[in-house]
Amino acid sequence: MRRPLTLYGLTFSLPLLIWQLLFFVFPLVFLVALSFWTVKNFRMQPDFDTVNWVTIYGRSVFWQAYGTTLAMAAFASALVSILAFPCAYAIAFKLSDNARRWAVFLMVIPFFTSYLVRVYSWQIFLSDAGIINVMLGWIGLGPYGLLNTVGATMIGYLTLTFPLVVLLQLFSLVFIDRTLIEAAHNLRCGRLRTVFEVIVPSARVGLVIAALFAFILCFGDFVSPIYLGGGDPTTLSILITDTTKSGQQWPRAAVIALTMIGTLLVVAFAAVRFAYKGRTK
Amino acid sequence: MSDRDTASINRNRAVDVALKAYIVLGYAFVFAPIAASFVFSLNSDRFPSIPLGEFSLEWYKAVASDPLVWQGLRNTLFVGVTVGVIATALGFGAAYTDYRYKFFGKQVYLALALIPPTIPVVILGLAMLAYLSRISLSGNALSVIIAHVVICAPFAMAIIRLRLSQMDPDLEAAAWNLGASEWAAMRHVIVPFTMPAILGALFITMAVSFDEFAIAWFVSGLNETLPVKVLGFLQGQVSPRINAIGTFVFVTSMTLVILAQILLTGRGAQIRPSADE
Amino acid sequence: MKNDTLVSFEGVVKRFGDFVAVKRMDFEIGKGEFLAIMGSSGCGKTTTLRMLAGLEAPSEGVIRLSGKPINDLPTWSRDTPMVWQSLALFPFLNVVENVEFALKMRAVGKAERRRRAEQWLDRMQISEFAGRNISQLSGGQRQRVALARSLVVEPEILLLDEPLSALDAALKVRMQSVLKNLQRETGITFVYVTHSQSEAFSMADRVVIMSRGQIEQIGTPQEIYRTPRTRFVADFLGSSNVFTGTVTASDGGGVMLDTPAGPLRLTSGERLAAAPGRSATLTVLDTRTNLALTAPGGPVNAIPVRMIGEEFIGATATIYLETGTGQEIRVQKSHEELAGIPLEIGQELFAWWAHADGHLVTEE
Repeated sequence: MRRPLTLYGLTFSLPLLIWQLLFFVFPLVFLVALSFWTVKNFRMQPDFDTVNWVTIYGRSVFWQAYGTTLAMAAFASALVSILAFPCAYAIAFKLSDNARRWAVFLMVIPFFTSYLVRVYSWQIFLSDAGIINVMLGWIGLGPYGLLNTVGATMIGYLTLTFPLVVLLQLFSLVFIDRTLIEAAHNLRCGRLRTVFEVIVPSARVGLVIAALFAFILCFGDFVSPIYLGGGDPTTLSILITDTTKSGQQWPRAAVIALTMIGTLLVVAFAAVRFAYKGRTK
Repeated sequence: MSDRDTASINRNRAVDVALKAYIVLGYAFVFAPIAASFVFSLNSDRFPSIPLGEFSLEWYKAVASDPLVWQGLRNTLFVGVTVGVIATALGFGAAYTDYRYKFFGKQVYLALALIPPTIPVVILGLAMLAYLSRISLSGNALSVIIAHVVICAPFAMAIIRLRLSQMDPDLEAAAWNLGASEWAAMRHVIVPFTMPAILGALFITMAVSFDEFAIAWFVSGLNETLPVKVLGFLQGQVSPRINAIGTFVFVTSMTLVILAQILLTGRGAQIRPSADE
Repeated sequence: MKNDTLVSFEGVVKRFGDFVAVKRMDFEIGKGEFLAIMGSSGCGKTTTLRMLAGLEAPSEGVIRLSGKPINDLPTWSRDTPMVWQSLALFPFLNVVENVEFALKMRAVGKAERRRRAEQWLDRMQISEFAGRNISQLSGGQRQRVALARSLVVEPEILLLDEPLSALDAALKVRMQSVLKNLQRETGITFVYVTHSQSEAFSMADRVVIMSRGQIEQIGTPQEIYRTPRTRFVADFLGSSNVFTGTVTASDGGGVMLDTPAGPLRLTSGERLAAAPGRSATLTVLDTRTNLALTAPGGPVNAIPVRMIGEEFIGATATIYLETGTGQEIRVQKSHEELAGIPLEIGQELFAWWAHADGHLVTEE
């Protein structure tokens, strides 16, 4: 029954609204204000000065980190989408209902293990005396410096995003009308062609959204670039933590954070536009 | 003709086998670090590698004998339980609002309710620490609770909303029609029906809070939670003690998640009004 | 009738935003009556019922229950229990707890409400399932639980929103007689919303036919069936052949209509004045329409037709025919009545009926 919000209704709807306004929206708004503050003698002062924006945007270190982060996040989201797709496809179409339920349950488990611990665990595999180099040594290869490379960072990014991307792709694939696929086969569309001409277009929204989430997660992540990538090349998240640690430069960190949010908004908007392009719904 | 059919069937089988092997590979990648963490938590070597050293509980002993770890654990549990209760309550309210009401600005309301987990934790942590210290709320367990609830409430809302969408839309109106006021219908119909999801949300938000460290790292001052401790280990010296802690956290989180899973798919959740339609 | 009125709708309108769900309703429901509200989906029949239950508030007009306006009374303060299309049984309560629910909400003591609930379970012949979960019951058993749950407060009126739509055909017929007997024994007023003609006509004392938010006709099943008041009702019931044309003559001898199928005459007694030149519609029941090889004489209308199909259900046959101008005509007859008439697709025949069997519909 549609009625104006009553005391009863407000009792349920207001608490979350108030909480998220107070502790989510206001902090982000405060971040904007903070970016115009100034720091003198290691103390922050309320101000309205564009100096932080000018300083940060004038530094080549920032633009290098920006380019690096953008490129790495974009590459990682493309990589994880490509690597996850056959897995999601196989789970969606090649497993029994029961096996699929188990597959989903297992894919959820990583969400409840510490990402940090998993990243540390990769160090055991990748370090100079680690598992992979020992195994390579058995066949007379190596040791290779696997840790503190961009490749190691990518492994970290995959650890972060692979389960989520598989699940999101899977959910979009299982909702494809099976008769579409049968119709395609019936019209002599081969297996692989069916995947690209029927399945991928049908699941486009889910695939794009999955890639978008991967991008968002990688773009903001600081664990993998530090602990697997060794902090080099510098990403924006590393730059933020470094900036806050050095000389109370919170306003400058705020500039970087706001630039990241702006970038994410643009990417998210473009991705959603692309995902729903040509759809009436 | 029959030769070609057999060939194509064989090729299809080969593709199927390859795809299934790929699934196994994918899960191997996902579970390798989790399994390694567990295995090496029970291994005596200071610098973990293969071949394995001796079976040993020394890292667990080292962790257990560190009073700071216990302090962190107590904080983590206290924060986790508090966050679970508040986030579930807020999430329930929002889920019910979405289920029951249509109003101007609902899209904005829902966006506000669901967006926080998609903001990178570095940014959220930065914003919150700056803001909370400004309003003199930083540096204690309260600030961690506030931050975790912002992240966890959307999960609670999603879980409870899903349960509400399984409810016969006439059920609440039927209760009113039989003489229940809105509050009575809430108590006697909505809450009992969503109870499995409420408990599930409680456990899952506790698990998320238990796991979440980055915000705590930024926000918390003295009262460190367990994940913050983990980060401390990492920043200082690498030690297999992190495996012991990681395994402990994993077992705890999984217990909560499995409890939630049982509640969400178990007996209570299966009884639906439209079971045979 | 006035003293026996339980419910009255006075100029009731219901709008959802710009959409008018119920245009303007004026009607009354008598005490102890079994009233069916019938129409296709979206006609406003469920909205009407929900306004009576207090689940929707009328945008205009007054609804009275026992003479008192109830517009502002929330549903939980009215005694207008409803049986829902989905039944809306509480899945987390067992059978007897479901039946007790309304009593619990009225703060009836534990022992008393158990006693009264069990009484109704007994009456509905489902005592043996008292401790069962709802999911363990069959469709028919759930139906009985839903009825017991609503009737346990012994209301003056019971609202039913297509309660039988989920049942299979045989069970539907059985539940119809359960409902009819229950209504007769208890004397409770039943307001029964349905889209099914057979349900409405077999149970109800009076039927309300609605279309696009308006009442098309109210009457006993007999009245509506024999003399549909509007063209919509005739089409909706689907039991009459309908001819629209222009009145050419109206006198003591009857009314003459010029229709695409030819000139038609009707002489039925209760016809209204139809001025020459006006458009009018003639209906004739398909069971009163006959077939012949040659045009019969006497006071009948006869139209040359061609057979286009046939359908047999049990002992009756429905013959589908077409006039020269393409209008479809149906004839429903027993096999005996059709003996001697060659029934082949394409066969040229005459459809005919007595002048007195036609009925004039005055509204468009």
